[in-house]
Amino acid sequence: MELPLLTRVQEGGDLFRLATAETVATMTPADGAVGLLCGAGSQSRLPHPPGPGEQYRFHFDMTKCIGCKCCVVACNEQNGNPADILWRRVGEIEGGVYPHTQRHYLSMGCNHCLEPTCLTGCPVDAYSKDGLTGIVRHSADACIGCQYCTWNCSYGVPQYNPERGVVGKCDMCYGRLVRGQEPACASACPEDAIRIEVVKVAEWREHYRTSANSPGMPSADDSISTTHIQLPPKMPGDTGRVDLSCLRPEHAHSPLIVMTVLTQLSVGAFTSIGILQAFSTQPHRTAALIALLVAMIALAASTLHLGRPIHAARALKMWRRSWLSREVLLFTLFAFAATAYSAVLWIGMRGAAWLGLLTVILGICGVSASARLYLAPGRPAWNSPLTLVEFWATTALLGACCASILTLGAASTRYAVLLAFGFALVTTGLKLARLARSRVHELHGSWQLLTTVLSTHLLLRIVLPCVGLALLPLAATPWARIATAVVMIGGEWMGRYLFFVSVVPSNMASGYLTQEGA
Amino acid sequence: MKLADWLARKSGLDIGSSKYSYSDDPVLGFTSSGKCSERWVNSTCGYCSVGCGMQLGVKDGRVVSVRGNPDHPVNLGKLCPKGLAEHYAIEAEGRARYPLLRRNGQLVRINWDEAIRTMVEQLRAVQDKYGPESLGVISTGQLVTEEFYTLGKLVQLGFGTRNYDGNTTLCMSTAVSGYKRSFGSDGPPGAYEDLEHADVILLIGANIAENHPILCTRLEANKAKTLIVADPRVTKTAMMADIYLSLKPRSDLALINAMLRIVIEEERYDANFISSHTTGFDELRASLEPYTLEYAAQITGLEPGMIRRTALLYANANAAFIGWTMGVNHSTKGTETVNAMNNLALITGNIGRQGASPFSITGQCNAMGTREAGFTSGIPGYRKFEDEKDRQQIADLWNLPVERIPTGRGLAYPDIIEGAVAGKIRALWILGTNPLVSFPNIDVLKRALDNLDFLVVQDGFHPTPTTELADLVLPTAIWGEKEGTYTNSERRVSKVNAAVAPPGEARSDFDIFLAVAESLGCREELFPGWSDPGDAFNEWRRVSAGRLCDYSGMTYELMNEIGGIQWPFTSEALSGASLPRRLYSDGIFPTEDGRARLLPTQWAPFPEQPSSEFPLILNTGRTVEHWHTRTKTGAISILQRMAPRAWLEMNPKDAQQLRLQAHDRVEVISARGRVSKVELRITEIVAPGQVFLPFHFAETNANQITQSAFDPISREPNYKQCAVRIEKSSANAAHA
Repeated sequence: MELPLLTRVQEGGDLFRLATAETVATMTPADGAVGLLCGAGSQSRLPHPPGPGEQYRFHFDMTKCIGCKCCVVACNEQNGNPADILWRRVGEIEGGVYPHTQRHYLSMGCNHCLEPTCLTGCPVDAYSKDGLTGIVRHSADACIGCQYCTWNCSYGVPQYNPERGVVGKCDMCYGRLVRGQEPACASACPEDAIRIEVVKVAEWREHYRTSANSPGMPSADDSISTTHIQLPPKMPGDTGRVDLSCLRPEHAHSPLIVMTVLTQLSVGAFTSIGILQAFSTQPHRTAALIALLVAMIALAASTLHLGRPIHAARALKMWRRSWLSREVLLFTLFAFAATAYSAVLWIGMRGAAWLGLLTVILGICGVSASARLYLAPGRPAWNSPLTLVEFWATTALLGACCASILTLGAASTRYAVLLAFGFALVTTGLKLARLARSRVHELHGSWQLLTTVLSTHLLLRIVLPCVGLALLPLAATPWARIATAVVMIGGEWMGRYLFFVSVVPSNMASGYLTQEGA
Repeated sequence: MKLADWLARKSGLDIGSSKYSYSDDPVLGFTSSGKCSERWVNSTCGYCSVGCGMQLGVKDGRVVSVRGNPDHPVNLGKLCPKGLAEHYAIEAEGRARYPLLRRNGQLVRINWDEAIRTMVEQLRAVQDKYGPESLGVISTGQLVTEEFYTLGKLVQLGFGTRNYDGNTTLCMSTAVSGYKRSFGSDGPPGAYEDLEHADVILLIGANIAENHPILCTRLEANKAKTLIVADPRVTKTAMMADIYLSLKPRSDLALINAMLRIVIEEERYDANFISSHTTGFDELRASLEPYTLEYAAQITGLEPGMIRRTALLYANANAAFIGWTMGVNHSTKGTETVNAMNNLALITGNIGRQGASPFSITGQCNAMGTREAGFTSGIPGYRKFEDEKDRQQIADLWNLPVERIPTGRGLAYPDIIEGAVAGKIRALWILGTNPLVSFPNIDVLKRALDNLDFLVVQDGFHPTPTTELADLVLPTAIWGEKEGTYTNSERRVSKVNAAVAPPGEARSDFDIFLAVAESLGCREELFPGWSDPGDAFNEWRRVSAGRLCDYSGMTYELMNEIGGIQWPFTSEALSGASLPRRLYSDGIFPTEDGRARLLPTQWAPFPEQPSSEFPLILNTGRTVEHWHTRTKTGAISILQRMAPRAWLEMNPKDAQQLRLQAHDRVEVISARGRVSKVELRITEIVAPGQVFLPFHFAETNANQITQSAFDPISREPNYKQCAVRIEKSSANAAHA
């Protein structure tokens, strides 16, 4: 995934689909002839069409912008979007001491990055980087509404439209450009602060750091933004975003809580079943069936996360590039293997151990892919190996609890639970320490959320597994074994809930007032 | 939604492709299909006084999109965010649709005949009982000029009350008074083009980047300028400045007087211009004696050297421009401050030339129209009540005996309200304004309205805080639904056209005025043969002929063609319709002796100084997304999304002392009342000791705390400074 997009394309790899005139024409027939692009230069304010090794980009002149937000309104009018979806936004940064105060504005649509993380993550290939213009385009028809791109973009550019069930984003008014018309934002700007330029890709790759970064903007390193930001010559050293103290919990994504916790439970259970079968040759047929059912519920629940569940199968498409596709693929294979394994256990056929091993391997790979996909640039709190560890720890803990139930509380399984508990506890501790100690706004913001509005949840997340542990000495009694498992699942459930709601997305600075509230 | 549709949507088969499709529109280009229009109607924006030319796209009887008219000389196709979303105001949920009469405490729907009959009967009954002047009328700056002209005649001559004023007294009357005193007449002398040609531009109390963003385009075009901004708050405009003067609240008059003194002391004035075109130089010079640099520095908080530098920059400029808005006008010393700025322009000869003007940037889209053609503080055509010749002239034009023309103005807006509190005004007719949010010290206004026998509110929106108190609500057409003209700040008259019909039974104000006149029995006398605004316009052209605001050469056709004409425009000047025009280019002023007056002025501290109980100074103002009391912009979701509620700006030093955190909800308390649960913004935009609150929001109405202090000359309220204290709200909203 690390190789730069254009290099890959030039190397002839097929990992990235680079839109050609043909594919573009088929994507949105209304756009019609790309050949019209040749006329782009005819309007004096538009530059010549990009040549080989070049692409279009936005030029934003912060010294001219007065924060009037005409671009925001013009963009919404152009695209017919409702008011809660803004493909172009204006944010504020501020610094200095009165009367030498400076407040500046950032106006941002899509940055049409050289290495668009929205594109690389997309499981259905809904994104393409236009071969002629470098514009990162999105096809609503191809999109299944998984919203993975909204996590992957560190600028918060793609936005999910619940009315449509798909994501949408700024395409630099592609349809206008090919007709020689200026994009709506640039055309509306009374201060001439937004322009379209042609950039030489190779040069930009060398020098983007000085011109693509700005206070109030996430690092351009994530995806190599192409937007050229003209900064004022002198900015106070403390210039920064004005929305820092404005934190609020993110969406909980309940289907994904169900999906991740239950897949991990199922994988943990199958692992226990497999191990017990290998060592004690007990088939645990009913347990396998229940674990299989849990996996099915998890996979079914995951489709409810999609804006277009009917097209869920498309998510398999980009397995060579997207961790989301890989997750779906691996869990699908896991489900097949688990079905076969359960069937073999019921029938009592030979080879069950091998099938069990396969199930467990696929399951652990699935959990790993599942965790890996959360390592998204736009979600700094997730973007750490600890996420992998966290998901494994859940799998281990819930698996150990299952083993405890299946062995009627055998001592070895109690130690397994104790070990897994320790593993999970250390992981949680490390994660909290990472957040608490960080100076990165998004990470420390997560810590602030966890310790203020989410503090009760955090307390539960820690107390529940402890209760489970306290019940462990009573594991000889069935109700205590079940209770341990239930409490442990509850703890992990709460942990996953916090995982989703406590993340502070990386984004461009916003205005001071949030939309919610009074 | 049908089950099949719901399933299609939820399953993802239907992604609303047609709603989110794009098409080619001949005017807009490639755009959202929903915005493509069948026809385009040229008009002028109905928000502020910049007066941007617009085109309204109509499809299926709805205005589906707007765009800036690329050929209009004011804005060349650009619009501010309010303008870009203006079409949504037409279909806003809160539009007034039917006449409503209060019966048993409830507003109930009635028909127009009954509404007009009831209105005339009730108002006449009050006038019969308490005298003709017991009727007060408060209008707006947002009707078309034709309506102002008609309304003035109807009120002054039909109803026979002089107690008629506009809400323009809340924003522009100070500029009017200042111009009248200095130059002998109202009328901003310059043109927007001056912003492109001035080499020094001094903006005092004018945050044009927030309030008149399209004017900033002119600043941007002028690369050679030195922009000086004087404002106590580091506004968006201040941040554009080459020199920012962070003066203390209400110290502008001291600053200008010190500048005048330096210019005279160092002999940087235009002696020729002074001797040929002004009177009062010696008195002015004598009056400036106290305003040494040190004295002004002490009052303004600026460095003495900075004041001198500013004065010399201004005086040495080839063409220097002074622009001001509410920072100056909203003050008990406003008129004098305007006179001081005029003094500065006059003694340096910075008037009547390209780039050189003392320029009041107006507020509402047609505040200028009511100043020219209204019948409030003067007789239409900038005629004076006191002037016998003016009265005779207008009587002749109207074929009326001169005795019918009042010999003095009636009560100004704040005095009408005081009159109602005192029981002298017993009935009120309020048009196109929302005083329940916009009038200072709102409790006084509430008392006034409680005292009335009958309240008529005529508005395009219902409910508003004001219509809710009415005995009779008359629903009107708004921008986009009626025809007429607006005059902008640079005296440019532009055409306003109807794109669609008003909702329900709403009618244009013009139609309502004629119906009221009919019912009063004065229609034939005052409005003979009139049926549409064009009739009023034609009479107004005759009435304005030969006056400073001469419209006689203008026609609707010509305006539609070139997008707006600056007055004076006589029938002889037909060829130069699109040329920029300035007043007083010949150095002759409309005073008795043809000379402008240099007027001594005296700085004084603002009326309510901070105290131990109320230690902070409250400043009020606006934000770009909203217009006045948000009757229109509050109903437009995109503007609401960008500016959802009010906030209070406070310097970190004060916040630290008060132990307040960002986003805390706070109470803003003055001697008169409080604003509750405003979100705190801690920022270096405001100086320590000062706080800033936008006034648009009825829910957190700044006028709960502003004071009843008015300019003695213009009667404009001192909205800008009052003493407050800040406390944390008790039930603090949870914020991380």
